[in-house]
Amino acid sequence: MALLSVRNLHARVGDKDILKGIDLEVGPGEVHAIMGPNGSGKSTLAGVLAGREAYTVTQGEVSFDGQDLLSLPAEKRALAGVFLGFQYPVEIPGVGNLHFLRTALNAQRRSRGLEELDAMDFLQLAREKAKLVQLDTAFMNRSVNEGFSGGEKKRNEIFQMAVLQPRLALLDETDSGLDIDALRIVAGGVNALRSKERGMVVITHYQRLLDYIVPDRVHVMAAGRIVRSGGRELALELEEKGYGWLGLEQAKAPKEARS
Amino acid sequence: MTSGLAHYLDVATRFQAERADAPVWLKRLREEALRQFERQGLPTPRDEEWKYTSVAPVEARPFSLPRELVGSADVAAEVARLSSAGPRLVFVDGRLDSSLSVLGGLPRGMTLKPLRDALRDDEAVLAEVLGQRARAEAHPFVALNAALLEDGVFLRLGRGVRGEAPVQVLFLSRAGGEAVLSSPRVVVVAEEGSEATLVETYAGAGASFTNTVTEVTLGDNASLNHVKLQVEGDAALHLGVLHSRLGRDSRFASHAFNLGAALARNEVHAAFAGEGGDCTLNGLFVGQGTQHLDHRTDLDHAVPRCTSRELYKGVLDGRAHGAFHGRVRVRENAQRTDARQTSRNLLLSETAQVDARPQLEIFADDVKCAHGAAVGRLDENALFYLRSRGIDRAQAEQLLTHAFASELVRAVPEGNVRARVEAMLALKLPGAPRLEVTA
Ligand SMILES: Nc1ncnc2c1ncn2[C@@H]1O[C@H](COP(=O)(O)OP(=O)(O)O)[C@@H](O)[C@H]1O
Ligand SMILES: [Mg+2]
Repeated sequence: MALLSVRNLHARVGDKDILKGIDLEVGPGEVHAIMGPNGSGKSTLAGVLAGREAYTVTQGEVSFDGQDLLSLPAEKRALAGVFLGFQYPVEIPGVGNLHFLRTALNAQRRSRGLEELDAMDFLQLAREKAKLVQLDTAFMNRSVNEGFSGGEKKRNEIFQMAVLQPRLALLDETDSGLDIDALRIVAGGVNALRSKERGMVVITHYQRLLDYIVPDRVHVMAAGRIVRSGGRELALELEEKGYGWLGLEQAKAPKEARS
Repeated sequence: MTSGLAHYLDVATRFQAERADAPVWLKRLREEALRQFERQGLPTPRDEEWKYTSVAPVEARPFSLPRELVGSADVAAEVARLSSAGPRLVFVDGRLDSSLSVLGGLPRGMTLKPLRDALRDDEAVLAEVLGQRARAEAHPFVALNAALLEDGVFLRLGRGVRGEAPVQVLFLSRAGGEAVLSSPRVVVVAEEGSEATLVETYAGAGASFTNTVTEVTLGDNASLNHVKLQVEGDAALHLGVLHSRLGRDSRFASHAFNLGAALARNEVHAAFAGEGGDCTLNGLFVGQGTQHLDHRTDLDHAVPRCTSRELYKGVLDGRAHGAFHGRVRVRENAQRTDARQTSRNLLLSETAQVDARPQLEIFADDVKCAHGAAVGRLDENALFYLRSRGIDRAQAEQLLTHAFASELVRAVPEGNVRARVEAMLALKLPGAPRLEVTA
């Protein structure tokens, strides 16, 4: 059975339709890449799946591990094992990175009937996971994402994923704004977290990331629909020919908005 | 029983009659203050100064003056919770409790004593400062406080004296019994080059009315950190006015936390009297239920080349009402003034309200002045970020609210005091990190 099953998903912001019928199946252990031009709805899809309330689902259904995902608030989705790696991680002054993450992990542990981790045990776990993305422990003591560079923010996302060990990771442009060294580090972290139980949806604008995180399936989104799906070679083809090759007028869709 | 203005006039007249044998200068000061109080009367919302805050509760019920203290061992635990090592003066229901006070071990050159003793012994020093910073003719509640002048604190720092441990003054009110009007006066004289931290804490469960006045006089290059922590009970009324006069190159920092009471207004006035002064005014109120909390500040850049930084925040939930009115005056000759004022307010419910009014009056041209006032709600993006990791909405809101407020706690310079403020804040705003181990 698929871990994530999205059927005919339509969503809008205000009175603007953005997702116009998405179908997607992600099985355990699979890595799916979603590519597409800016503004095609990739972040919207990730946001709808993670429970962002700015979007209204107008049609379709999403099941996650047999549950109706759309009926759950964001925090319940996280407890069920959904993780969103943000395209634009939010800066939260005054909330310590470690305190935040321990609060989150303990909320997840409680919901699974596990004992909460105390500060010392948590610190040990955090130190170990931080190595995965070479995140300096100094970052853990700072406020959440405050004053982090673009690359540090993305590494912090993967660090959080490593601590929370989700069943499904939605990674939204985890590669954007990274230089090649940072990209390698982040991709290395993601690869280390691949497992046969875990599904991943890797959203990217560029095929470059997929040289490091090799996907099982590649989907191309344009104007709120998945217009083409294939194996890895689809990404290479896109790289070579650009999105125009798909003959999609929609591919010249509006410019990306911050979401 | 009378009420309103007549009640207070009556109470103060009897108070003064009972002290007919006081030194002439003190009698005059009290009597003149009473005249000034009567002349001004109790403020109404028509008074520009009291536009956002009604003192109707002050008029509504009668209060009696503090009585002789008979035993207050019951508050020992409270005193321990609200103080740390170092000198302290403790007042219970408006009267000094010497058994709970600690006056030993003062650094050489520091005088700390009950105001009552200073009124008897230190006329010469007091004459220059008492009623000079906080003037009875300018403020009805300063006048009322002066008309009832008796208890309080006198702190004097001699030249170059450094107070290591913070000086702590606690005013506790007990539940039950009569509703007490206490009128403490705290007088601080910091001579040239001296340095100290003074903490005023107001707490307790009584349905009291505290009308307190603090006067600070800083000599050249002196430095005072002043922390005020007001955590009075749900039924309490609290009015506080602080005036500070800053000498050349002196530093004054005020950290005002108004967390308790049904009605609380805290005024902080600072005036630069010498060039090179540096003034920080920080304040936080956290209102819930039907609390009404008011912060009023007034900064007078009367001389050139001084710096002021003002950060006031408010958190309001339930049907609480908050008000911030901050005035900064930069006088014509006060060139090269650097003044910044920020007021930020967080509304947690649809029914909470806040009035924020920055007021800059700039008459000099070579100045750097900035101000900003904001009223907002919790950031939905930040909430979603926290929730997307499994933290439920209520806890996410607590985390963000606490983070907003704690900026002011982190600014408190002294560790023990900061921890105490943090603990008091945590009682009102859960979501504080428990002691976190750092990486
Ligand atoms: N909160 C929002 N409000 C208004 N428009 C939005 C919002 N989020 C996304 N959009 C619009 O939806 C479309 C898809 O955006 P997005 O999902 O961010 O695309 P992508 O991630 O593929 O670049 C864009 O036209 C964008 O402007
Ligand atoms: Mg996007």
